[in-house]
Amino acid sequence: MPIVAAVLALLPWVAPSQALSVNILLYGLFATGFNLLFGYTGLLSFGHAAFFGAGAYGAGIALAHYGVGWFGAIFIGVGVAGMLALLIGAVSIRSRGIYFSMVTLALAQLVYYAAFQATDWTGGENGLRGLTVSVLSLGPISLNFLDPTTKYYVLFAFVMFALWLLSRMLNAPFGAAMEAVRENESRARACGFDVRLIKLIAFVVSGLVCGLAGSLNALHLSIVPIDTLYYQTSGLAVMMALLGGAGTFLGPFIGAAIFLLIEDIFSLWTPHWQLFVGIIFMLAVLFMPRGVWGTLAGWYRERRA
Amino acid sequence: MELDLILAQLFTGVALGAVFVLMSVGLSVIFGMLGIVNFAHGAFYMIGAYVGIFVLTLTGSFWIALALTPILVGVFGLFVERILVRPLYGRGPDYPLLLTFGLAYALVELVRVVFGSDGVPFDTPELLAGGFDLGDLGYYPAYRLFVIAFTVLILLVLWVVIERTRFGLIVRAGARDPRILSVLGIDVARVWLLAFGIGTGLAALAGLLAAPMRSVNPEMGVAVLVEAFVVTVIGGMGSLLGGAIAGMAVGIVVSLTSLWMPQMATMSMFALMTLVLIIRPQGLFGRDDLAR
Amino acid sequence: MILSVDCLVKEYGGFVALADVTAEFPRGQMTAIIGPNGAGKSTFFSLLSGAIAPSAGRIIFEGANITGLPQFRFARQGIARSYQITNLFPRLTAHENVRLACQALSASARGDLWHDRSYHYGLAETADACLEQVGLLPRRLIEVSRLAHGEQRALEIAVALAGSPRLLLLDEPTAGMSPEETKQMMDLIARLATERTVLLVEHKMKLVMGLADRILVLHHGRLLASGTPDEIRADTQVRRVYLGEGRSGRG
Repeated sequence: MPIVAAVLALLPWVAPSQALSVNILLYGLFATGFNLLFGYTGLLSFGHAAFFGAGAYGAGIALAHYGVGWFGAIFIGVGVAGMLALLIGAVSIRSRGIYFSMVTLALAQLVYYAAFQATDWTGGENGLRGLTVSVLSLGPISLNFLDPTTKYYVLFAFVMFALWLLSRMLNAPFGAAMEAVRENESRARACGFDVRLIKLIAFVVSGLVCGLAGSLNALHLSIVPIDTLYYQTSGLAVMMALLGGAGTFLGPFIGAAIFLLIEDIFSLWTPHWQLFVGIIFMLAVLFMPRGVWGTLAGWYRERRA
Repeated sequence: MELDLILAQLFTGVALGAVFVLMSVGLSVIFGMLGIVNFAHGAFYMIGAYVGIFVLTLTGSFWIALALTPILVGVFGLFVERILVRPLYGRGPDYPLLLTFGLAYALVELVRVVFGSDGVPFDTPELLAGGFDLGDLGYYPAYRLFVIAFTVLILLVLWVVIERTRFGLIVRAGARDPRILSVLGIDVARVWLLAFGIGTGLAALAGLLAAPMRSVNPEMGVAVLVEAFVVTVIGGMGSLLGGAIAGMAVGIVVSLTSLWMPQMATMSMFALMTLVLIIRPQGLFGRDDLAR
Repeated sequence: MILSVDCLVKEYGGFVALADVTAEFPRGQMTAIIGPNGAGKSTFFSLLSGAIAPSAGRIIFEGANITGLPQFRFARQGIARSYQITNLFPRLTAHENVRLACQALSASARGDLWHDRSYHYGLAETADACLEQVGLLPRRLIEVSRLAHGEQRALEIAVALAGSPRLLLLDEPTAGMSPEETKQMMDLIARLATERTVLLVEHKMKLVMGLADRILVLHHGRLLASGTPDEIRADTQVRRVYLGEGRSGRG
């Protein structure tokens, strides 16, 4: 946790562009939410776009259609994502093992199609517009959200708060229970853990975190594109978490940085940068399954031991 | 709503279902033997359509394309299994799944590089361009009847292979318990290779058959991958019969829903899946222990 | 009676794995369950630990009908089991394995999302006490995958001991052990049995005969005989189907 805080606090000063550092921050949080389920609980979801998108649309609709303040909008976004995670989680954890990835993907696509149809609320394929926030006021404080540095550190504060809560959960007995489910589900059940409940709680918390990432992203972009809910977005979280190191706290942020850097660099000379992302991801699955940070941490631990 | 319209729509549903069935059977063959979910299945479907177009423009014959495409893509599938998937056996089901996801990601982009990002038209073959006047039932495109008939033919061939040949015996035994194969002294690696090849070949065939009915573009695999998953979850993973029945059911439900509530058509299948998951989590024909 | 089963049946799509077993288990006694491979011993254990639900019949534990409850309820009622094939959390340490088992049975700790793990230091102490009972305390910080086979078997027992179960189900605790290790394990089981009710599946007949108070013999999913070791030794049916073929292998 302190490492993550330090790295992210310094990020705007080392990243090549302001936009990149905000993206690393927000997509890193998104991948962290996914990682909670995949890396810590052992459930590979391919539907986390639904929660990222629910957060974005929840906050966006509150801002654009109902004139809710920015702070309240974030809460609404997170709440909507949490409710959706409760619903999707309750259905998908009924499916066991290999089905889980398929079911989460299918249910997320359902959310995508639903948002696509509900044009009055979501703007359909044009995306949701009209939610520009330029000044953040909360009580006596008023901040200029258009200033990139201010923007970064406001978002940073939210991300840090979420990460702090998460680190409490992971270090608490519940975090140990999640690991038990990941390591050996049948033994966890035999020991007396209510595995289904643990999975559902992990799923909902994961959805809440992704929802926060989505809400903040909506504020950041001032628009919610329909692609936010698409399969590709779910894949983004999967790739980032795995590249950086699933099951590690810093990994998803490292992964987000790697992914976004690849995108930045390769897209300079080819519009087909995704080809390289796909190949690099396959290489990582084959040769570096613990991801960059997971591998480094493994080396460090072995050298000490 | 008139009865003949409903019946025509029902046939459309069956044709759509035929594509789902081929996809789902391909997924099930791979899962049944290798125990992995192929996330690149939609990409192989899309490649099937493009390879079909390629062969078609080269030879000018739909029938040669129909024969060659599954073989070409199936052979490509063999290489994928041998080079990319095989090193991952023994690392649990998640890593092959992640790898095939990455493969699909790269393949979609590769097709964009070669064929461009825009959709490509795929004309219905001349011989099947017409339609049948079904009297009171209305007018029905011949191509769809052909798709249904051809799928039935493929399923029959598959059924004969599985029920009547030595390879089929191995597949059935392996699907029940992979350990049996090594006890019997069968080269498991070769069976896996072949199963992956057949599965990807079936996906390519589905893509080619669907091409004249649905649009051909690099993203066409995503929607069908999800549809195939829905069908497989409903039918039960690893069950060919389940896949066939669920495929038809989903095709019909989607078609009939689009008659009454067009905007709900794509969503109806998810409702069906959710219902099945709540009532019978292992799928209609799935065995309880396979999903563990 | 701490446990009684009434007409217990388990079918798998027409195949009867366990047919109509009725038995009672007195508190404080050690009962051994024997029978050839495929006799239904594992199925019986899976039913008693709640891992699978019976097709018919009832399981009464301490006077309460627990048939059909989820497995974690069985554990929380005070029934713990060990596995024939080592079934632990392989990437965690010996201590963490037992601590998790303690946590699962502690109402105040298992759902705690807030306090650090060290806040529940009582669990760690209980875990170490369990490790000490099986002689693994010096190895507490070793990862399971790096423990020797005999140590993993002992850890199986320690995990089962977490939360002080009143009924302990041991599935072939000496599987794959050397004669030396087997003797140590049997001594340990004898010690454990002085404080709680133990059910034991074991293939090595001699060990069971000297240790158990009562023996159940399963054959083709049916209860063939039950009684004291002497009664079982004298039973002609048992001699025919079980003891007679004992020489030819594990059966």
